[in-house]
Amino acid sequence: MTNRPILEIENLSIGFRAYGQYRRVLRDVSITVGEGERVSLIGQSGSGKTVTMRTIIGTLPMPPGVVETGSIRYDGRSLLELSKIERNKLKGTGISIVLQDPMLSFNPVLTIGRQMDDIVRYADSRLGQNRSAAQRRDHIVQTLAKVQLSEGARILDSYPIMLSGGMRQRVLIGMALLNRPRLLIADEPGTALDVTTQDEILALLNTLVAEEGLSLLLITHNLGVVREMADRVYVMDKGRIVEEGTRDAIFTAPQNAYTKRLMAAVPPLYGPDVVTIENHHTDPNPAISIDSVSKDFVGRSGLFHQHRTLHRAVDKVSIDVMPGDIFGLAGESGSGKTTLAKMTLGLIDPTEGTIRVEGQDISQIAGTADFRKMIQIVYQNPGSSLNPRRTITDQIAVPLKFTGHETSRIKTRVGELLEMVDLPADMANMYPHELSGGQKQRVAIARALSVNPRILVLDEPTSALDVLVQSTVIDLLHRLREEFDLTYLFISHDLSLMRNFCNRVGVMLRGQIVEEGPVAEVFGKPSHAYTRALLSAIPVTTDEADAMKPIVTKEERAAVLNPSTAIGG
Amino acid sequence: MLLYLIRRGASLFIVLFGLAILIFVIARIVPGDPARIALGPLATAEQVTDLRAEMGLDEPFFIQLGTYLSGLAQGDLGKSLLTSRPVMDDILGALPATFELVVFTLVIQIVISIPLGILAAVYRNTWVDNVIRVVSLVGIVTPGFVLAILLQLSAAMYFGFFPITGRIDPSIMFDADITGLLLVDGLIKGRPDVVGDALRHLFLPAIALAAGGIGQVVRITRSAMIEVASRDFIEASRAYGIPERVVRFRYMLRVAAVAPLTILGLEFASLIGNAFIVEFVFSWPGIASYGVRTILQKDLNAVIGVVLVSGVFFVVANLTIDIILGLLDPRHRLREGKSK
Repeated sequence: MTNRPILEIENLSIGFRAYGQYRRVLRDVSITVGEGERVSLIGQSGSGKTVTMRTIIGTLPMPPGVVETGSIRYDGRSLLELSKIERNKLKGTGISIVLQDPMLSFNPVLTIGRQMDDIVRYADSRLGQNRSAAQRRDHIVQTLAKVQLSEGARILDSYPIMLSGGMRQRVLIGMALLNRPRLLIADEPGTALDVTTQDEILALLNTLVAEEGLSLLLITHNLGVVREMADRVYVMDKGRIVEEGTRDAIFTAPQNAYTKRLMAAVPPLYGPDVVTIENHHTDPNPAISIDSVSKDFVGRSGLFHQHRTLHRAVDKVSIDVMPGDIFGLAGESGSGKTTLAKMTLGLIDPTEGTIRVEGQDISQIAGTADFRKMIQIVYQNPGSSLNPRRTITDQIAVPLKFTGHETSRIKTRVGELLEMVDLPADMANMYPHELSGGQKQRVAIARALSVNPRILVLDEPTSALDVLVQSTVIDLLHRLREEFDLTYLFISHDLSLMRNFCNRVGVMLRGQIVEEGPVAEVFGKPSHAYTRALLSAIPVTTDEADAMKPIVTKEERAAVLNPSTAIGG
Repeated sequence: MLLYLIRRGASLFIVLFGLAILIFVIARIVPGDPARIALGPLATAEQVTDLRAEMGLDEPFFIQLGTYLSGLAQGDLGKSLLTSRPVMDDILGALPATFELVVFTLVIQIVISIPLGILAAVYRNTWVDNVIRVVSLVGIVTPGFVLAILLQLSAAMYFGFFPITGRIDPSIMFDADITGLLLVDGLIKGRPDVVGDALRHLFLPAIALAAGGIGQVVRITRSAMIEVASRDFIEASRAYGIPERVVRFRYMLRVAAVAPLTILGLEFASLIGNAFIVEFVFSWPGIASYGVRTILQKDLNAVIGVVLVSGVFFVVANLTIDIILGLLDPRHRLREGKSK
């Protein structure tokens, strides 16, 4: 590193004192960010990266937080020794942040304009400046233009819920830049958004760093994002920095065992490590047959709800899922994939068309115990799909009870199921909060399998999990499919994962399947512009894979993607 | 916003119309002949028949209902058997006293409970928080009439700080003929002695009435503030350098206020019901005292009138809260407009 450092963290150790117990969360952490440099801090949830961020920006509550040793210097000044007033002067003006979730980072009850004006106004008063309301407004509109939002005036009068996800993320970056900070800390920017939008946001951040002379500290768990966004990388595990180096060094020759495991766990989109799953079943009768199915949702407005607006969520979709398939349903938010899955489970009725599961029309059999034994679901977030007040046994027993199992059988069956998903038997009497995220998802899988279904609908089953945990859950799902002859309908927006997990995929756009086929074909020779746009937007971890991404022209992108700078959506 | 107001306003009339029918039907189903009850056991059958005809009780049920509803539409609630005066006049005479008491109680609730809730949240898990939580719990579990009597015994009788009963000292000559509210009329007519004395009389019944609601609202405010404090946008605001006092009172309170306001709305409506007992204990010349007397006398027209008035309170209080929430939180009115 040749630049003058703007942020130097040296030997920082931090602990928490809570309920009489002391726990150290950061051990001897040293991080340096040079002026104009882009540095990434990688780590899984619980590794201490958020605590590091909060300590730098000064929002870590102390107590219970305690700084044991170490120092943080910003531009040569020791942050932890500054007076409160001096420190506050740096907030937003020296160091600023962009938090992960663009919805939760706004105050929902104030207009964007009000929130941005407050930030400018209080910074002015801290720094002893005095600008009129009109001057501040001009400044805000100019800042919005920097994040490529041209309709500044309209945005300022909007409330956060009136903006699309991509727009909110842009406004959020604009907010962080309002007082011209020199160091920007971004916590998982764009990961809550669709991959094509995330791509735009990352490009925007890169532009801003170059044009505004910002230094960037990026906190993330997504290695693909790191490769596109970092000059240097720090890897954090259990509160320690386990490896640091330039981006190329880390990606081509990781030294630390943990870094290597992390790299290996990322499902590759292209390249020699890609796994192609095949289906050896020869049964000609489809497990799920979706025949020109549509679903309309009715919105009502007006004084007496008299104006009806129809929104077609699923539009004449036909798919056959064969026994033994892992059929991936890919698409961004709002594409209709979840609606299609819900109809397949018989939870909502299609407006048109028929869905057959194992040859039977589900409009006839939905709601019966027999149907529940055919098809089950694993939800996205095991943290909310499990009831926090019931033991693991109770959770797994729910489907058993409703399909007429005897109480005496249930206990032995729960034991079998826990063994099936590689969980120790003594977890049966624990509560969900005592389990890790991966273990909870295993419980959810065990619950879905309890009635011996032949088909599982998997709704983003690993998107709430860290990548290391994800790979173990994926392995488990592959194993279970072999052992119990299962068919999966897998819904996800993570195409890298889909490439390695499924044997067939269908890509959904605005309610329609635009492309469908075996994974190797769809990923190797994508024919629809949308598929190509999706694939090219995915951050990958090797240059090799980057070079293999399909090419999509600007015109094609514009034709298939909703612009993230538009109001609404 | 306008659409939101119109829709809310329309629902008010529908609810009140339904309530009027329901109460009338219930009143007619209740066993016992209103005319016989009014005249007492010594009246002759002839007298009873005459009164029945006079009250319209000999008509078919639906005719009675129609007559009642058309009267209601013109502001006529029928005649009270107890006072032999139109029920509307009785109620209008008693309403200002109750209204004054209930609104004053609400003000006390807001002024005490919201700051205490914020204080408890800011000093969470310290002795400040613990004291506030215990006190609010005591407030919730103590029945209003017990507190009323305790207050009378201590603050009024033993220490003599406050008058024991009534609305104003009988020695003060004052005619509240503008709004009927002593505080308002006192201010308009420039009579500080009236305002002061009315406040002294209001204080104890209002405290007795407010206690339960205060406890609830303190707890709700506290937990809502704590929940909001952990949201990302609060952390972001601090990181952008917004001063702590602005973060707490403008940003957090505005988001957190939704829950306590909803509770306050329901609480305000139920105050009328709770006021029955407290008004009785403090001999407050309000609608509750009137209600108690008419119920005991099975004065049906008057009872229906009193119930209707509480219904109006309930609906209007909720409408007011809905409007405030709509002003406070754009998501309320936007969602209403879209109704997705």
